Amino acid sequence: MTPPLVHFRWTPANVSVTQTAAMLPVLIAVWAAHGPAVLATLGVAVVAALAWEGVFALIRQRPVTAHGLTTALIIAIMAPVSLPLWQIAVAVSLGVVLGELIFGGRGFGFLNAGVAALAFLVFSFPGVALLQANFWVAAATVPGAVLLLAVGLAPWRPFVVAILSVAAVKLLSGEAITLTDTGAALLFGLVFLACDPVGGAATRAGQWLYGALVGGLIGLFAADTGPAITANAVVFAVLLASIFAPLLDYLVVEVNVRRRRNRAGRAHV
Amino acid sequence: MSLIRHVTAPLIDQNPVTLQILGICSALAVTTSLATALTMSIALTVVLVASATVISLIRHHIPSAIRLIVQITIIASMVIVIDEVLQAYAFAISQRLSIFVGLIVTNCLVLGRAEAFAMRNPVLPSALDGLGNGLGYSLILLIVGTIREFFGAGTLFGQAVVTTVADGGWFQPLGLMQLAPSAFFIIGLLVWAIRSLRPDQIETPEYTLQQQEARR
Repeated sequence: MTPPLVHFRWTPANVSVTQTAAMLPVLIAVWAAHGPAVLATLGVAVVAALAWEGVFALIRQRPVTAHGLTTALIIAIMAPVSLPLWQIAVAVSLGVVLGELIFGGRGFGFLNAGVAALAFLVFSFPGVALLQANFWVAAATVPGAVLLLAVGLAPWRPFVVAILSVAAVKLLSGEAITLTDTGAALLFGLVFLACDPVGGAATRAGQWLYGALVGGLIGLFAADTGPAITANAVVFAVLLASIFAPLLDYLVVEVNVRRRRNRAGRAHV
Repeated sequence: MSLIRHVTAPLIDQNPVTLQILGICSALAVTTSLATALTMSIALTVVLVASATVISLIRHHIPSAIRLIVQITIIASMVIVIDEVLQAYAFAISQRLSIFVGLIVTNCLVLGRAEAFAMRNPVLPSALDGLGNGLGYSLILLIVGTIREFFGAGTLFGQAVVTTVADGGWFQPLGLMQLAPSAFFIIGLLVWAIRSLRPDQIETPEYTLQQQEARR
């Protein structure tokens, strides 16, 4: 008798739990920096995200999930604590419903719901500056980033390419950068928003292209924000790149199919 | 009875915007305020009725090979008339609509009804069909325009309904509502709502998941 083999598999629930764990240190650092108001933001975001998931689970007669937790954490970390809570609730509702749930839930869409909600915040309300970071926030992002990159939940290819292309754009334009703000926005934005398994490209070549697109767009959007690369630039870059990610994947697959067909054609001739 | 049906069917059941997904570009562009949406609705309805009537009148004399050119010529003439009338009597609003009145010529809805209905039906049903489709288009435009102007600026027809934060009130306008994506969201949600109430409007999906027994 062979003993029963237990295979570990990434399920949406596992992914959500790991991402949540990776974000907790960042949340604590933001709490330390901005005070307990961040907990109110988090509470509202969690309630709004889970309520909509519950409604959709009810309509579709599917088991209730708690993927909204990661979305809520992203919002709580990135959104300024001074925002009125109803604005958080509206942004989370629109982000979760339009960015994720109408496509069928997490894993079925092509956007990170957190990115959609943050973009909505910035578009709708004047003067919203995301992720006011200090050194500790930047430092607290490191363990979670290392964890997600190590277990492969955040693909390393787009991460590396994006960092390189941001650096290239900044070098070409000859601007200095301030490390703390830039570090926190880049690290958190790239690992938790850009390298989200749902929002990014899936094919290997697609991931290289996607990373270059994210990095290039960040460099472009951050061109007029002075020395710091702001989180706003990162969010918009990720939003735009996520929209193009399925196209990149499609092109990569199409090129591969052509290449293999040509090779097979030559072999038959 | 069936004549009335030409007017009522396109309101919900055969709505040109939400079922046939026609006229979307103008629905995105002119719905930032209710005034422009209403003007555009009236202009399009008038053009639709007039062109359907004229095309239906001369439908037996239009050679099939050049019928599209003839239809476009007639529609374009109507649009020029409407544009000139607007510039003469409502100059401010015609400035705000900019090129979108002129672009009624290229609105798929007008040519679509001319080609699909007015070319092969008598005058009265064609005119009523044009009126119905114009009203269906107007209905969606006015709904979207109301939502976008109210939530985007706190006004309706330019009159303040609630006091915004900028004027010392409590209402914080949603900037997104003044941008084109919001019209996409609103039209999408409208389509969703209508198809939930009328399931026969749901299109058959291109791909379906195959039912499989779970492997043990």
